[in-house]
Amino acid sequence: MISQSDAKLLNDTAALADVRGRSLWEDARRRFFRNKAAVAGLFVLIAITLFAVFGSYFAKYEADFVDFSLMGANAYQGVPSFSSGHYFGTDIDGRDLFARTVQGTGISLLVGIVGSLVAVIVGTLYGATAGYVGGRTDGTMMRIVDILMSIPFMFVLILMLVIFGRSILMLFIGIGLISWLDMSRIARGQTLTIKNKEFVEAAVATGVSPFTIVLRHIIPNLLGIVIVYATLLVPQMIIFESFISYLGLGVQEPNTSLGALINAGANQMSNGTLWMLLYPLAFFLVTLFAFFFVGDGLRDSLDPKDR
Amino acid sequence: MLLDVSDLTVTFRTNDGPVNAVNGMSFSVDEKETLAIVGESGSGKSQTAFAIMGLLAKNGASTGKVAFDGTDMLGLSPKQLNKMRAQQIAMIFQDPMTSLNPYLRVSDQMAEVLQLHKGMSKRAAVAEAAHMLDAVRIPDAKARITMYPHEFSGGMRQRIMIAMALLCRPRLLIADEPTTALDVTVQAQIMELLAAIRDEFGTAMILITHDLGIVAGSCDKTLVMYGGQIMEQGDTEGLFEHPSHPYTKGLLRAVPRIDRDDDELLTIAGEPPDMSNLPKGCPFMPRCDIVKDQCAVVKPALQFDGGRKRACHADRAEVANV
Amino acid sequence: MYTFIAKRLAVAVPTLLILIIFSFVLMFAAPGGPFTNERPLPAAVMDNINARYGLDQPYWKQMYDYVYNVVFRFDFGPSFQYRDRTVNDVIAQGFPVTLTYGAWSALVALVVGVSLGIVAALRQNTWLDYLAVGITIGAQALPNFVMAPVLVLIFTLWLGWLPGGGWNGGQWNHVILPVIALSTSYMASIARIMRSSMLEVMNSNFIRTALAKGLPMRRVVMRHALKPALLPVISYLGPAVVGMITGSVVIDVAFSTGGIGQFFVNSAFNRDYAVIMGITILVGALTILFNLLVDVLYAWVDPKIRY
Repeated sequence: MISQSDAKLLNDTAALADVRGRSLWEDARRRFFRNKAAVAGLFVLIAITLFAVFGSYFAKYEADFVDFSLMGANAYQGVPSFSSGHYFGTDIDGRDLFARTVQGTGISLLVGIVGSLVAVIVGTLYGATAGYVGGRTDGTMMRIVDILMSIPFMFVLILMLVIFGRSILMLFIGIGLISWLDMSRIARGQTLTIKNKEFVEAAVATGVSPFTIVLRHIIPNLLGIVIVYATLLVPQMIIFESFISYLGLGVQEPNTSLGALINAGANQMSNGTLWMLLYPLAFFLVTLFAFFFVGDGLRDSLDPKDR
Repeated sequence: MLLDVSDLTVTFRTNDGPVNAVNGMSFSVDEKETLAIVGESGSGKSQTAFAIMGLLAKNGASTGKVAFDGTDMLGLSPKQLNKMRAQQIAMIFQDPMTSLNPYLRVSDQMAEVLQLHKGMSKRAAVAEAAHMLDAVRIPDAKARITMYPHEFSGGMRQRIMIAMALLCRPRLLIADEPTTALDVTVQAQIMELLAAIRDEFGTAMILITHDLGIVAGSCDKTLVMYGGQIMEQGDTEGLFEHPSHPYTKGLLRAVPRIDRDDDELLTIAGEPPDMSNLPKGCPFMPRCDIVKDQCAVVKPALQFDGGRKRACHADRAEVANV
Repeated sequence: MYTFIAKRLAVAVPTLLILIIFSFVLMFAAPGGPFTNERPLPAAVMDNINARYGLDQPYWKQMYDYVYNVVFRFDFGPSFQYRDRTVNDVIAQGFPVTLTYGAWSALVALVVGVSLGIVAALRQNTWLDYLAVGITIGAQALPNFVMAPVLVLIFTLWLGWLPGGGWNGGQWNHVILPVIALSTSYMASIARIMRSSMLEVMNSNFIRTALAKGLPMRRVVMRHALKPALLPVISYLGPAVVGMITGSVVIDVAFSTGGIGQFFVNSAFNRDYAVIMGITILVGALTILFNLLVDVLYAWVDPKIRY
């Protein structure tokens, strides 16, 4: 027979379990949408993505169309105006800056997202494996990460870009590959805590293979933290790409990215064509801030550390 | 009277509104006297001590009066307050593991007190500090004083804390749960040490604890706190033998005793009160066995009743019979 | 302590060797080999290269010679591009410049960042704190390749106070803008780290003990709080220096300061592998050395670290 207090306890536990069952993601969403800066950032991000995807339909010119009559004369004839159709003006080669900003935003976003995907996948697998296997393997694997961290990868990446030729694919891989180190540390730390949970022990006891345990049990539980850091990685990747493109070593003409546009604008600053700098710069900064705010909001709502 | 606290109230500003940690406490400590402040965690006993020392967290504020030998502690400038600390009133804390600076040698941490307050040279200060470590029975004090805190055990660290507090021969020592973080055997040693020090240095002491077991043999007077208020206050012996407040009674019943043949340890049902939303009447009412009509509405006043002060609507006989 | 340093050296030296060998392998992995170029190399340069690398020798022999020369004679060989210059000449010309403004930037970032962090922490939730936090967030989202053109725009083109480029033998007015551009984002990161670690330390039990001892606030901060609060900043110095060295490339390009970054980018355009590799290895050695110093510094500050 169940005594009254036991029954009450059972009831409470059931209620608690019920709440827990849906609360992790539900709770996170609620928290996120209470954070005004994060929600604003999310809306801005959506707007920027729409701009990058559909902006070209509103442009009156192709991104690589060179208006020879404006070449070198853009300081006074390529001024931003609605009547000419060059909403953001033209660049030094007489190309429409609006169309180029649309293209640059798109490529920057793409590199950022793909780069952080590569970093997250490599880093999570590496870190989860190290943390799960533990012992000597873990020590060695993390020591390798320590060593790699002390190498200035930007130089190696540029060396690779020079040797293998500059292509967007190379950028994707290179940028992702130099950024997985932090992710692997975070994933390892989380794995160490998850590893000792009962459900993992149960899986071990029933003879599930280590590889399956990592894939089925460890990684899904890393998801929250992985999403947070992926979001925070994207702006970093955009900065990386822009860094390389700013040096002229990234995306190749006629393609462009925000970093390349900023570089072109900076070079023309003294010619009175400030719009060439300010429009791409504005898009760059707004995108970065939006990602930062969304990432922070996600961290506050998902990261168990702060709970 | 060495310390005279009257109507002390401590309020913290928090995101969920103000929280009253201490509500109108009044008590006094005489020269060379030992007072125990007893209560469960969150009852405001530590905050009372911090308010006396002026050590409240940034969002905390205290009102009322704290007179130390006639000086109003709450009205002092930071400079004047620093003169009182360590020289007149010293304090030791709950967790000796984290209360010493892990990045400084013990010698440096102890010597700076004497250098600052007594104007001693570094060399003389370290020598004096080593003497004091001897006094709290740390073996080989002269050699070990240059070690870092993490090289000592928990009990040894609490001894260092005590030695450091005694350096300027303060007239009042506030010990905030000095044994809570320690092993049981070490607890006894520390309590013995505190008693010996009181006899040797003639220091008055306030012992803050939730452990009634260590109060019985070591304190002259006892003050029982609940919800930031005094429930009962009087001679330790009388209070232990004839508790006249339901809460005191509950606390005493919850102390495990070898000389009683109980099968189960009694607890006080219910939960500690929400300090940001205290009941209008008696704070202990939701957990009390003898609830009267006025308990919910009228806060019982702290009154002299039978040789001690108590705050309860039920009379003594009623409490004794439960 | 000495064994600790020896242990770290035992890791640092192989790391550097791996970096050198990796660069060398990459160079020879280039499609068509390192010396087949779109433009045929001048005969004199080709002679230099032949004499130096012994291209008729097997690869391992070439690699051995290269590594041997770099490690034991600090000789990076001749440039592929200039007939009469060696990589050592290029480094000797550019490195002092980079080192000068790099050292200033590190100093500014550290001193300003730490002070700003302390002040913000001690005056938490006052306008001073909000201002510091605001600056920190803003500066973090402004990477150096954005800072550089914006600074030139404001201080050179609009205000006309400072020159927008050149080095002029390191005259003070040529140093200021590069230092600001390079140090700001690291200054901001240091300030943020310092603020939060200071807040944490000031809330710790041993600070309460120090206050209970009647020590004046100033002494509590300087003697009891500063050292532990600096530890996270010290661990950040490793990545910060890697970032600053990388960032110097942008500074050199943006301000035409003539540092090694400028040679690096020029060589990347001209496929002057010898210079790229030389600079990459030099920079790698520097960062590895600096990380070693940071480790030692950390161990020296924290008595709890056992060597």
